[in-house]
Amino acid sequence: MSSSELSTKHILGIKYLTKEDINLIFETADNFKEVINRPIKKVPSLRDVTVANLFFENSTRTRISFELAEKRLSADVVNFSASSSSVKKGETLLDTVNNILSMKVDMVVMRHPAPGAHAFLARHIDANIINAGDGTHEHPTQALLDAFSIREQLGDLSGKKIAIFGDILHSRVAMSNIFCLQKLGAKVRVCGPPTLIPKHIPQLGVEVSYDVKDTLEWCDVANILRIQLERQDIKYIPTLREYSKYYGIDKKLLDSLDSEVIIMHPGPINRGVEISSDVADSKQSIILQQVENGVAVRMAVLFLLAAKRST
Amino acid sequence: MLLVKNVHIIEPTSKYHGKKVDLLIKKGKIDRIKARIQSDKYNVYDAKGACMSIGWMDIGVQVGDPGLEHREDLESVAKAAMAGGFTAIACYPNTNPSIHSKSEVLYIKNNTSDSLVRFYPIGAASRNCKGEEMTEIYDMHESGAVAFSDGTKSIQNSGLMMRTLQYVKAFGGLVMNHPHDKQVGNSGQMHEGLTSVNLGMKGIPSLAEELMTQRDIYLAEYTESKLHVLNISTARATNLIKQAKSKGIQVTTSVPAINLALDDSLVESFQARYKVLPPLREKSDIKALKRGLKNGTIDCITSNHIPWDGDAKNLEYSRAEFGSIGLETVFAICNTHLKSVLSLEALIEKLSRNPREILGIPVPKIEEGAIANLTLFDPLEEWTFTKEAIYSKSKNTPFIGTTFTGKVLGLINQKQSWFRS
Repeated sequence: MSSSELSTKHILGIKYLTKEDINLIFETADNFKEVINRPIKKVPSLRDVTVANLFFENSTRTRISFELAEKRLSADVVNFSASSSSVKKGETLLDTVNNILSMKVDMVVMRHPAPGAHAFLARHIDANIINAGDGTHEHPTQALLDAFSIREQLGDLSGKKIAIFGDILHSRVAMSNIFCLQKLGAKVRVCGPPTLIPKHIPQLGVEVSYDVKDTLEWCDVANILRIQLERQDIKYIPTLREYSKYYGIDKKLLDSLDSEVIIMHPGPINRGVEISSDVADSKQSIILQQVENGVAVRMAVLFLLAAKRST
Repeated sequence: MLLVKNVHIIEPTSKYHGKKVDLLIKKGKIDRIKARIQSDKYNVYDAKGACMSIGWMDIGVQVGDPGLEHREDLESVAKAAMAGGFTAIACYPNTNPSIHSKSEVLYIKNNTSDSLVRFYPIGAASRNCKGEEMTEIYDMHESGAVAFSDGTKSIQNSGLMMRTLQYVKAFGGLVMNHPHDKQVGNSGQMHEGLTSVNLGMKGIPSLAEELMTQRDIYLAEYTESKLHVLNISTARATNLIKQAKSKGIQVTTSVPAINLALDDSLVESFQARYKVLPPLREKSDIKALKRGLKNGTIDCITSNHIPWDGDAKNLEYSRAEFGSIGLETVFAICNTHLKSVLSLEALIEKLSRNPREILGIPVPKIEEGAIANLTLFDPLEEWTFTKEAIYSKSKNTPFIGTTFTGKVLGLINQKQSWFRS
């Protein structure tokens, strides 16, 4: 049984959610998934609620996914994009956001390159805040939609084996996934080059492997992350060619396994680097379902926070 | 003439140690010490049984003059030092311009000559503290620089560190270096450990400190020169120094007070006031540092006073600057957190005698005829540190609102006195 209300005012990270919160979001997302497959996809739940999408870092799919979710809930939406360079020019995050809030915004969806930027903001402003990615810290709605997609395929996640491949060190998706999957009772393993795996990650109760084939044999689901070259300030791997050769996943490798593994990827894909095209487009892949579920899950999150707001 | 009545002397080398006495101060000297001195013709300060020791010294202070006066000027840092009980401070060369030639050394000395607090400039080991070109060390030494260091910057270049250690031998000088290997530290934001993984924050491995500590010990051994490992924070660095001392290598070390009180789990709040360098480490490190203080491995405690204006700190954690002010809370932190570790005498030694011996500065005495260089404090008084009471120009400290046991009441030095009202 899940409760009918979230335990928090903000979605700053999966870390700060309870298992009940996550299940409530999933049940709500089930309903919205049905809604967005109707001919008329719009519901009035967020009428008179103004949502600001503040993206201090580039994003295409997350921004569009949030915007769609907001519009299908009939919210008023404003978009703000700033590259980190224009922020460097002088105006602080607090100034920018205070300016926007002076225009009476109820909810803020923010992506920001600094870990904890949302926690900083939450101490200063009154609106509900949804973290759409803060540096290498968390990306909670991505983890929710990933777990929601796995749940759709495998049912209850308890005891399921999920492997996360790639650049764990620079990945907020990896961190949020680990927290989310563990809260739901799944077993998590990370796999990638040793330079891209945080030394202390086993302390989170996560298994570590450097062997892609062995990990694919172990897991039910393979969540393959993008190599984030833009987050690497120094060289952690020699070349993409070598990465692809030893850590990339292709059809031949998948076919050599005894069982069929579900393939996920949070996008955008570097085809031919971490994942080959024939894997990305195979029937094992649920990459496009993830995108669809993203809208439903984000609608659920927005809806539940707005409900909390009105109580 | 000033008569200080009813003080409890804490100074093991003095024959008045442990005794309750009155002191008469005349022309900057201790004129008389007696169980009771008649009071009608003097200015009287009744200490009501508080403790008095020789004046304290802090060897880890950043001043903002020249160049960074909006963060701290010479007057404000002196006030903060007084409130912290320090009659002497050695200041980092990280000003703008750096204290990297005779002119800046003399600038600091000349502009503070009438202050109650004695300023001892630390000369930069390299021009602009960039770790590249050697400075005119001999000339700075002759002008009054007490040690050579790049202060808050660690000397990354092993060759430069080696030659600096060699060069200062000509006059028996001291090289201080904060151990932080930048390549291993790799733009880390906090201690690397479970908390940093949880927060997705780039970590500074303890290794960054330990590698450079070991390097510097090897270099001190090779050059047979004097090294001070400035502001350590890890268990293993403490052990490395302990071993080096037992081998007879001329090495001393210090720890910032804040690193004895707070651990890395506090960063979970993403509050930039916990962003300091060396970073807040783990509870096990704090335990080892305390052990190091107790067994004599760690010689002294610094404030590692790094003032920042509000705008440099009221930011997303990763964009905020490293450092916190500390002068005004060193004694309060230590007296509160080291109760079971150090006796009051041992703590005061680490705050007064040891820093001076490390730098080769004369240690004040408590006897008739000696220059009056004294700190008055109450180790039992409970008080709460408030923002309004901060003397420093900057307010970047995690201790606002903290209740401590032990308070500084006043000091006497350079023919002046200051008492907390």
